[in-house]
Amino acid sequence: MTMMLLNSASLRGGCCRHETLLQLLGPLLSHSKLYSSYRRPGAEPEKKTLWQNADFSFKKGFDVLKTQLSLLKEETQNHLVGPEGRPFSEYLLEQTRVLWQFRSQEDLNKWIISSDVEIGGKSEVYLKLSRNNQGALLYGTLNTEAPRDGETKYSGYCSMRAKPRLGSFRRKKYYDWSNFNSLYLRVRGDGRPWMVNIYTDPYFSHQKDDLYNYFMFTRGGPYWEEIKIPFSKFFLSSRGRVQDSQHPIWLDKISTLGFTIGDKVDGPFQLEIDFIGLLNDRAHTEEFAYEMYDKNTPV
Amino acid sequence: LISATSLLLGTSITISSNHWMMAWVGLEINTLAILPLISKSHHPRAIEASTKYFLTQAAASTLLLFSSMTNAWFSGQWDITQLTHPMSCVLLTTAISIKLGLVPFHFWFPEVLQGSTMTTCLLLATVMKFPPITLFFLTSPSLNPTLLSLMAIASAALGGWMGLNQTQIRKVLAFSSIAHLGWMTIILIYSPNLTLTAFYLYTVTTSAIFFILNTTNTLKLSTMMTAWTKIPPLTTIFMLTLLSLAGLPPLTGFLPKWLIIQELTKQGLTIMATTITLLSLLGLFFYLRLAYCATITLPP
Repeated sequence: MTMMLLNSASLRGGCCRHETLLQLLGPLLSHSKLYSSYRRPGAEPEKKTLWQNADFSFKKGFDVLKTQLSLLKEETQNHLVGPEGRPFSEYLLEQTRVLWQFRSQEDLNKWIISSDVEIGGKSEVYLKLSRNNQGALLYGTLNTEAPRDGETKYSGYCSMRAKPRLGSFRRKKYYDWSNFNSLYLRVRGDGRPWMVNIYTDPYFSHQKDDLYNYFMFTRGGPYWEEIKIPFSKFFLSSRGRVQDSQHPIWLDKISTLGFTIGDKVDGPFQLEIDFIGLLNDRAHTEEFAYEMYDKNTPV
Repeated sequence: LISATSLLLGTSITISSNHWMMAWVGLEINTLAILPLISKSHHPRAIEASTKYFLTQAAASTLLLFSSMTNAWFSGQWDITQLTHPMSCVLLTTAISIKLGLVPFHFWFPEVLQGSTMTTCLLLATVMKFPPITLFFLTSPSLNPTLLSLMAIASAALGGWMGLNQTQIRKVLAFSSIAHLGWMTIILIYSPNLTLTAFYLYTVTTSAIFFILNTTNTLKLSTMMTAWTKIPPLTTIFMLTLLSLAGLPPLTGFLPKWLIIQELTKQGLTIMATTITLLSLLGLFFYLRLAYCATITLPP
């Protein structure tokens, strides 16, 4: 500590003041991932600061403004038509809806893939159109070898997540799935278990890691599977940990859907998805599958 | 029980107070009392609703206190009816608008209602609005007519426009409340008694709506389509109450609108009266749609 102080005194007049500050504050900030100077093996190199990235071109700004205004005009017209731009009668009468269908590269561009490479892992994941453009093929190799950074204990996950919808002026838009009670997936897997994740994008940051999950067990084999997962089965987790107090998912404000594989088995994986849809299964009357009993009954 | 008693206490303190401090105390008691009711289920959305409610109401209370302090600094007294300083008037208008959910401070209201149960929604839409409207009533001679009129017209417009495509009933009723607040606010300067009359009739009508929805356990429009099979007479009353809320003659809900239009016309504000009447057609559209879904539809 004394040496660091002496060093800082000598460098004070120089140009390395910010490095000095980091050295002094390093021990204080070492537990904070946000301010650590250590860059994980998989993390991207430090980018330019926001103000360096800002483009002050007037023409480009004007073009962006025109695009956003046209989006706003389209939203206003859709508002007159009905909820989410579809007629009201369609909303009242529909019992099924196809959300995502993979027939072209444009459909694939609505999804993001990620893996443990971000934290220094060695898994690989790729997304492409399957044969005859009849679905999406998510494939890759899972590697559970943890990165050697002294911090990470576990590794080995790959995921695919839908991009959140953005309206005019980059406002968040949400899906309204309240008319349905089940998720309907037509997939062809390789026998490995997957986890389906639904993100509701809460307003406050203390809930930003909340996710609703459920498992999807695939069969290997040449036949397509139609998997129905009722929304009542989804359980609440936060930062990957299943919460003690469970609550059903509210379907009026859904942000993204994702699939994750993390079954701790090294090796290749493959999942073909034809479409992802919604279903209103009238035979399914369960409201919520977990802990509907009164937890605080007086003794 | 404690929350309900505190709500009554807070409301009573505010509506019976002469001093700004007591009015503020009553509003704070109300805010604190309703928070456990909103977050009772501990669902993440209910917690979000209660957090939003607390932040907006706390900010509004701060503004209200600042407004009263500014007035006390300049005029030397804390009497509610003696609000004289112009800046205090503007600050008070802003504070009460945030409390009520008037445009442009309405963004919290639909989300908070959506995160609460039906009974709590009823309290939020009726009881929680009573003390701020009382403060508006007491300070009405000092308020800025232009500002109030602009906010009223905007509330009627946005309440109608945003309610058009809602599928969640609580949000529909939230926007209906915003639109009705527009009607109440527009006549505040010219005839404060009409504001109170409109508020009372709105409270009675909307209470009926909330109680019916609570009985049939209806949270969205598609559920409402099948609710008529449960209690058909209740559905008939629901339809009539909705049309009353829409302001259709000869139902009761038409009375405050008629009197407000009459008063506005007497004051020479014909354009304002016409504008707000035309804007209420947007609300009529979604009330009719609710009535249609509740009564004339068969389940698919």
